[in-house]
Amino acid sequence: MSHAPNAYVPFELHGQELRDAVVRYASNPIYLDNEEWQNNDNPYRRQLRPQVLPHLDYDAVPGREDILDYSSLAVQRVLTSVYEADLVFLPKSGLKDRKWEDFQQFYSPSNRALGEAIRPALEKYAFGFLDDEVEISGKWTKESFHAYIESLGADDPAEASLTEKAILSSTDRERAARMWLIQFAPDFLSEASPMIRNVLGHYGATQSEWFKIIIDEYGYGVHDTKHSRLFERTLESAGLASDIHRYWQYYLNSSLLMNNYFHYLGKNHELFFRYVGALYYTEATLVDFCRRAASVLTSVFGDKADVEYFTEHVHIDQHHGRMALEKLIDPLIEEHGEHIIPEIVRGIEEYRVIQAVSDDDFATQIAWMDKGPEFKKLHAPVWAAIESGKVTAPVADIVEPYGELSNTHCHDGDELCHIVSGTMKFVSGFDSHQILEAGEGTVIQKNRLHGAIIESEECVYQIHSVGDYKKCLS
Amino acid sequence: MLVLTFAATGRGNCVEVDGTPYVYVRTASGSFVMRADCPHRGGPLHLAAEGPEGKSLICPWHERRTATVRMRQRIPAVRTGRTVRAVLPHPPQAEVSHQHRPLSPALAC
Repeated sequence: MSHAPNAYVPFELHGQELRDAVVRYASNPIYLDNEEWQNNDNPYRRQLRPQVLPHLDYDAVPGREDILDYSSLAVQRVLTSVYEADLVFLPKSGLKDRKWEDFQQFYSPSNRALGEAIRPALEKYAFGFLDDEVEISGKWTKESFHAYIESLGADDPAEASLTEKAILSSTDRERAARMWLIQFAPDFLSEASPMIRNVLGHYGATQSEWFKIIIDEYGYGVHDTKHSRLFERTLESAGLASDIHRYWQYYLNSSLLMNNYFHYLGKNHELFFRYVGALYYTEATLVDFCRRAASVLTSVFGDKADVEYFTEHVHIDQHHGRMALEKLIDPLIEEHGEHIIPEIVRGIEEYRVIQAVSDDDFATQIAWMDKGPEFKKLHAPVWAAIESGKVTAPVADIVEPYGELSNTHCHDGDELCHIVSGTMKFVSGFDSHQILEAGEGTVIQKNRLHGAIIESEECVYQIHSVGDYKKCLS
Repeated sequence: MLVLTFAATGRGNCVEVDGTPYVYVRTASGSFVMRADCPHRGGPLHLAAEGPEGKSLICPWHERRTATVRMRQRIPAVRTGRTVRAVLPHPPQAEVSHQHRPLSPALAC
């Protein structure tokens, strides 16, 4: 009788098997398209557009230049759902009617198991670009690490970000600021939840030091001082609702990327030291960021803006940055050796890359929203180029009935939407739209989040995939 | 220690500190920051060929070999996108200039 052990086969999904698993996960009724632009106090409903998922390739990891393409948005939406099955969300108005069923669906063993099965492959897809973007080399010591940390100037006041400039120079500053606050909702309304994944288990004094940071984030058990509660008040003061994922359809690709990054590090404990690095840099830079955020919101909304969420962080994160460095990083290096330093540096640098992607994505989206009327005007010359045969592009002919809502998405190249008959409300962001009648249309910019709803009995329209609309103008 | 940032490739890919040049290289066995001058007679190590099995760099002047395993360890650095941040063994007040140095095919994989 043989006692030879079975060969260990690591778990891995790819190709058609992976695609099928993603579609199976996202076909859950709670992930289907919404008939409204917003979810209504139902934290379990997340529009994953499962009808598109069979057509995506989850094996070809995109580089940074393609990280805002639709496949990435789709993957980030799926990952948000997968990660958040570990968190507890309850609707403000109670688990009534359909919400009770949705609650059971979202936290069901099936939803969790299907999500966990696809998570490693989707994480590779979502964060694989960081392997090319960030590379650590050389032998790091405590001394060289501290010299590096000092060189980052994380505590120093930074220049105004692209995001701040976009909001303050927007044609509709309140709309831009609301769109900005919406981007924070996935993170701030469940603040510190990814971080808590790192204080489970038992690993010595640094665990308790990290727990102190969490105690601050959770407001010492006084609900009104819990940071997520402070952010609810900020949202409400800006005229927004504060229920979980109400504005799911308005989350930008990079906002989900940023939030998911911390879940990714927290969920995979082999990346523990990367999280420590990212934690330090986040906390250290948040002091200046929050000071500027409070200033931007007050400038836009005046005194009605409740900015306590941000002013609280201006204070407490001075401590958290120091605590992360002196109470977490330094003791961890002391206990576990200098070979952990490259992972800590990598966490810092990866976060900086994501921050840059996010800053640029948001500023570009605000420009896209502000220039809605201009993109509508561009329809005429681009349509003329197509009609004359000067430009030929793949075309999709679409007929939709009244009330049909194309849940938000983006395209990997510029497109022209041309209305043949009927009326479409074309939505380019929160509270941002153009009405398109027969013979009209709009250029849809590459990677820009948008959706549409039909406002006539029927609407016949075409989508021309022109690739680069500027080439149609020459 | 002196922490400097410079380009990973192209213009400004070399930082010279108190007369010692450093470049970021990509070899078949990994990327790292190294001195661009040969420790033997100061030859242009940034134009080095690769030795057998990629274990050394061969200076074009006197064909002196330098083991890459040691070179890879010497300078702690991080490349993010096209920018390198390196921690160099020089005092903070050292004289610094940025230049361009071409790299041999073995160092620009």
